Amino acid sequence: MRFAQISSVVLIVSAVAAPVAGQPAYQHLRIIAPAAPGGGWDQTARVMQQVLQSAGIVHTSSVENIPGAAGTIGLARFIGAERGNGDVVMVSGLIMLGAIVTHASPVTLGEVTPIARLTGEYEVIVVPAASPFRSLDDLVRAFRERPESISWGGGSAGGTDQMLAGLVADAVGVPPRRVNYIAFSGGGESMSAILGGQVSAGINGLAEFAPQIEAGTVRVLGISSAERLPGVSAPTLREQGVDVELENWRSLVAPPGITPVDRERLERAVETMVGSAEWRQALERYRWIDRYLAGEEFTRFARAEDQRVRAILTKLGLGPGETPPRTAGVYPVLVLAGLVFWLGAAVLETVRARARAVSPRIDAGPGWKPAALITAGMAIDLALIEQSGFVLASTALFWLTARAFDREHPGRDALFALAVSTGAYLLFVRVLNVTLPAGYIARWF
Amino acid sequence: MDTLPALSQGFASALTLPHLAWALAGVTLGTAVGVLPGIGPALTVALLLPATFTLEPTSAFIMFAGIYYGAMYGGSTTSILLNTPGETASIVTAIDGHMMARQGRGAAALTTAAIGSFVAGTIATLALALFAPPLASFALRFGPAEYFGLTVVAFTTVSVLLGSSIARGLFSLFLGLALGLVGIDQLTGEARLSFGISQLLDGIDVVIFVIGLFAVGETLFQAWRHGRSEMEVVTLHDFTGMSRDEWKRSWKPWLRGTAIGFPLGVLPCGGSVVPTFLSYMVEKRLSREPERFGHGAIEGVAGPEAANNASAAGVLVPLLTLGLPSSATAAIMLAAFQQYGLQPGPLLFASRPDLVWTLVASLFIGNVMLLVLNLPLAGVWARVMLVPRRLLFGVILVLASLGAYSLNRSVLDLVMLYAIGILGCAMRANDVPLAPAVIGLILGPMSEQQFRRAVAISEGDLSVFVTRPISAALLVVAVAVLAAPRILARWMPPRGEA
Repeated sequence: MRFAQISSVVLIVSAVAAPVAGQPAYQHLRIIAPAAPGGGWDQTARVMQQVLQSAGIVHTSSVENIPGAAGTIGLARFIGAERGNGDVVMVSGLIMLGAIVTHASPVTLGEVTPIARLTGEYEVIVVPAASPFRSLDDLVRAFRERPESISWGGGSAGGTDQMLAGLVADAVGVPPRRVNYIAFSGGGESMSAILGGQVSAGINGLAEFAPQIEAGTVRVLGISSAERLPGVSAPTLREQGVDVELENWRSLVAPPGITPVDRERLERAVETMVGSAEWRQALERYRWIDRYLAGEEFTRFARAEDQRVRAILTKLGLGPGETPPRTAGVYPVLVLAGLVFWLGAAVLETVRARARAVSPRIDAGPGWKPAALITAGMAIDLALIEQSGFVLASTALFWLTARAFDREHPGRDALFALAVSTGAYLLFVRVLNVTLPAGYIARWF
Repeated sequence: MDTLPALSQGFASALTLPHLAWALAGVTLGTAVGVLPGIGPALTVALLLPATFTLEPTSAFIMFAGIYYGAMYGGSTTSILLNTPGETASIVTAIDGHMMARQGRGAAALTTAAIGSFVAGTIATLALALFAPPLASFALRFGPAEYFGLTVVAFTTVSVLLGSSIARGLFSLFLGLALGLVGIDQLTGEARLSFGISQLLDGIDVVIFVIGLFAVGETLFQAWRHGRSEMEVVTLHDFTGMSRDEWKRSWKPWLRGTAIGFPLGVLPCGGSVVPTFLSYMVEKRLSREPERFGHGAIEGVAGPEAANNASAAGVLVPLLTLGLPSSATAAIMLAAFQQYGLQPGPLLFASRPDLVWTLVASLFIGNVMLLVLNLPLAGVWARVMLVPRRLLFGVILVLASLGAYSLNRSVLDLVMLYAIGILGCAMRANDVPLAPAVIGLILGPMSEQQFRRAVAISEGDLSVFVTRPISAALLVVAVAVLAAPRILARWMPPRGEA
């Protein structure tokens, strides 16, 4: 750790003292994507990694995925583990604002250091090509008449798609709580429901639907941008009298408590990045819209968005302190009752069988000692992995497991354990690029 | 139909040396990640994405497809030899495959798995090439009500996995269902049974559950049961592969497995795990000696292994024709298309036919490569049974912990892995079957969500399940599956006792 500290001090000094052109601003910049590989945040992080490296802004860069609960798990770990760390950034955005509200996250985006907004994507309201709704007017008329009869398919609850449904309802005078929103778990799932006409209308990101729109399998009724977009023939919601504008923006944040010098250095690096030709090309490839906004203006924008998101989610019944409609109430009770019932039945069966002395239970083996040895190995693994590193923790786990099965050759097994753990570490870190805690031993290679 | 000329064009392009090399690299890597617990094809492709950026798209996709198919082959190996399936698709294989390995017939089990995968992969890829567009548009007719029906059919497979005691089997099922409740409810965003622990909001990861229950649980159980005493020595009967009788028993399950797996890959229903369970149920029900299942019946390996490979090909149907990702790997591949500025969607076949047909052709080639790679390896792998247990289980635990940790890089996942391992050991020790718990965990949330979605769309009208024809037909199938054995037992004269 000492080495890392010294090197980062050296880096800061060199970056501030002599920003020589062509000299990378960072030796190594870590980018955290608070989502699983494949999604928008992950793609943003990986594109950044590529651009930063190829444009010479950083020497090397790595992407770490911390998926879960629409980014709030990543956010919590970012705040907890990276405080004051000047060479790490996390991708964030509108969806995280929503998730913080709906999941009652104990941490918020107010705690991190905002750096810049990078890109935006607009939302479209679509219907399948065969739908009776020819225009937004048709849809809105039916929606006003009987709100529940229109089912809106989109992504997960509390996400951008549901926010747009709520905003549209609010704008046309229908209470957002009456929106019959059907949440699907992934882009693919909601798209197939929309294409198959399983729902009345669909809401999704423009980029995801662009191929379908081009192929004519769906019809765009409206797009959530302020102005018409070049290359997209769809009318905006606003020009059709539905006064709603919504953008799924993605941004970058730094950990809380970083020095002003660190912050400025990050902001400069990002500014250089968005100005690079590589970044332009990437934007085009992914159909992202450049929405770069930094400094005080971005901070203000983020704050305003936060208030808007809170307001609409509250109106949708997903806000803080809301008890969601208890639609899910019966099933969990049934399941838990079934669990208790069958546990009882199984125990009863065992007791009866014992009484008849034809126990189905396997006779206890040589017993708990070897199993306890392995359990101890697991406990040591858990205790050591973050502090002392993967190699040491796994060596201990392996060695104790081997002890459980055989008393002979402790020395040879220890060597073997070390070799396997080191090999596995190298395979993952070097070949697959998975970050594992290095700790004491792996630091040397 | 201009499919055949297009396909031969694809073969011409795929059979060039660099493309063959990428295919070989893909299938080798895929087999390797299939063997490692927890590291699936989705993660591998995701990790390789940045590295492949400089490649030409066709080469990259040939490699990805190789990884995808290869992982399906590799998954069965640890299942059969060590009773430690590393992913959901090979859980069923462990039931009879591992019994075969214990009887020294490990090579035969691996061979039937490899050939079954080859047969299924080839037929399913052919079906993909010939019928992809009509299949995809049929799949769109499946809405929440139909998917609910499908999960109900899938639930009936529990009936053949209960083991010796109904109470224990159903306890296991309900345990899985209860664990499936944990986390954010997809439809309302409400957190259930997560006890304020934020890591539990996303629910219990199926991968961690499976590795914990099987790999960690098996290690603990072996230590508890046998400890340091010498186990019975496994004598390997053959290194040559399958006997004549085993061939005869295998070929029908291969074909039936393909027929079950392919459509269920096209219709996303819990990934590749549901087809394997369904195939196992069908084989057991059709068998003249169902009592052999669970004690090393080769049909119980041949069918499911064919089913999981066929479903892997099925997943590509909606991906290539509509741009719909229906599995984790497909979602990553979709991201890969975007990386190259390609648009997977209804127009992909028209705009980039060269890429699509080269990809399809290389799936065929990859399948042949996998067969060539895996058949000779079956004998070699089977010798793993001779490795001392202390080293074997040491390696298993290290790899299991690595797989679980690298999912989210969270120690809490490791805690969960070990806790589930202890649970798995306790279940084994008390004769509670493990497979129903996995079914409950995977199908429970799906079934509940689809049910609620269907009811929400119909504005609370429960009759949708019987008025929509496909959904009604599926529910009838489910009832028939459960009732058939009883009806048959009444109508058919009991067979001879022999």
